[in-house]
Amino acid sequence: MDSRNFTYMFYGFAAAWVILSLYVLTLVGREKKINKQLEGLRRMLDDKGGK
Amino acid sequence: MRFLQQTYTIAAKDLRSEFRTKESLNAAASFALVILLLFSFAVDPTGPMVREMSGGLLWIVFSFAGALILNRAFARELPNDCLDALISSPISPAALYLGKAIASFLLVLLIEVLCYPAFGLFYDINWTNNLPYLILVSLLGTWSMSVVGTMFSALTVNLRLRELMLPMLVYPTMIPALMAAMKLTTVLISGEPLSDNMIWLKLLIGFGIIFTALAVALVEYILVG
Amino acid sequence: MRDKILYILGLLSAAWLTVNLYQMLLVLPDELRQGHIYRIIYFHVPAWFTCFSAFFVGAIASILFLVKKDYKYDTCAVAAIEVGVAFTCIGMVTGSIWARNQWGIWWTWDPRLTWAAITTLVYFGYLTLRQSIDDPAARARNSAVLAIFSFTSVAITYKAIDWWRTQHPGAVLDFRTGGGQIDADYQSVLYQNWGALMLLAAVLVVIRMRQESAIRAIEGLRRHAHAR
Repeated sequence: MDSRNFTYMFYGFAAAWVILSLYVLTLVGREKKINKQLEGLRRMLDDKGGK
Repeated sequence: MRFLQQTYTIAAKDLRSEFRTKESLNAAASFALVILLLFSFAVDPTGPMVREMSGGLLWIVFSFAGALILNRAFARELPNDCLDALISSPISPAALYLGKAIASFLLVLLIEVLCYPAFGLFYDINWTNNLPYLILVSLLGTWSMSVVGTMFSALTVNLRLRELMLPMLVYPTMIPALMAAMKLTTVLISGEPLSDNMIWLKLLIGFGIIFTALAVALVEYILVG
Repeated sequence: MRDKILYILGLLSAAWLTVNLYQMLLVLPDELRQGHIYRIIYFHVPAWFTCFSAFFVGAIASILFLVKKDYKYDTCAVAAIEVGVAFTCIGMVTGSIWARNQWGIWWTWDPRLTWAAITTLVYFGYLTLRQSIDDPAARARNSAVLAIFSFTSVAITYKAIDWWRTQHPGAVLDFRTGGGQIDADYQSVLYQNWGALMLLAAVLVVIRMRQESAIRAIEGLRRHAHAR
């Protein structure tokens, strides 16, 4: 019983941390996407302003 | 008094418009009958199990067919900017919402009146044992469905994916009322005593009251802003 | 300056979580009947408490948005609810693993779990609704109404173990039972981990809020750029 309980406990903790990490990764990914869009827009506005 | 007058006007308008074309009534009725038919292939239609499943089966049919009708509640106003006209008219948004909820409620009830005999026919079950209580449960369950469904119909009216978003939002919110209606319908059709299941009846009534109050209070923000 | 505070708070929450991990894994003794698996409670319960708090903040922010019509409340609502959904997933998965070990089943339809599933579904619906509305004003209004509606399921999930007899264990913490159901050491580590997770959630919410403001600014800029 003890070793199986230990395995399940490990999976439980791992699941909590994995889900947290996945969420943090989505936040990081979204940050990169936002920065890329901002760059593109700034460039487009500069081009239009420069004309 | 004026509020009730406005509500009645909107409900009558919707019902009149629906009965002229019968488009969503026909679609919902056909859909309901087809599902009943399909389920009879999925399970042995004359087995003893059907009595235990009756509530679940019936309310799934009502939910799916009802979704078609509830979707139309606000979607019917989209062509020719009718929705904008209604919102800018002197009718209070709550009266507009309540009138549509009542109209949808009556239309879904019509589908149920069609489905119960069909169910009795296809599955060879006598469903009239506890008819007064069955009618009460149908009324309460259908009202809960109408209240929530019309509310979310207003929410999703301007979306591209309206037909997808409405069921996605309505069904989880409706689960408590649906569970109670299913359980009570099974109990009534099987002939078990209702007194053991009063908690479900209270849940159904409570759900109806809470969500009607919430919806009437909040619908103005959705429609007008 | 704000960046620095956020960074420090993030590190603080990570450090606190690590200290708690040491406590819960190496210091505290096993539970009598469950053995090691009970230690999941230190993530399962705090995750759900954090999730409920986040949804509560989301509901309040939504009400404030509808009343005051200031978009910062809408930003706060979506951030809080998204973080809440992440913690819901943690709560559901840890609970399911614990159930598999202790009850032999991954899931059951008792009132507590059913309402937890409903809560998860309606808030996923919230996020989906937000994605499907393009107009920012309509998006903010409609999702605010949905957030208020959806909070009823959170309240009922919380009270489910008081109102029904559930397979899910009843209340054990002192603030709900008045004391005596759970060992004091266990309880203190549970609250500590709740604190750490709340701190982490707060940091994540602020980060998400800044992203939402940036997205709104981008939408405005884009409209501005294409208008020329």
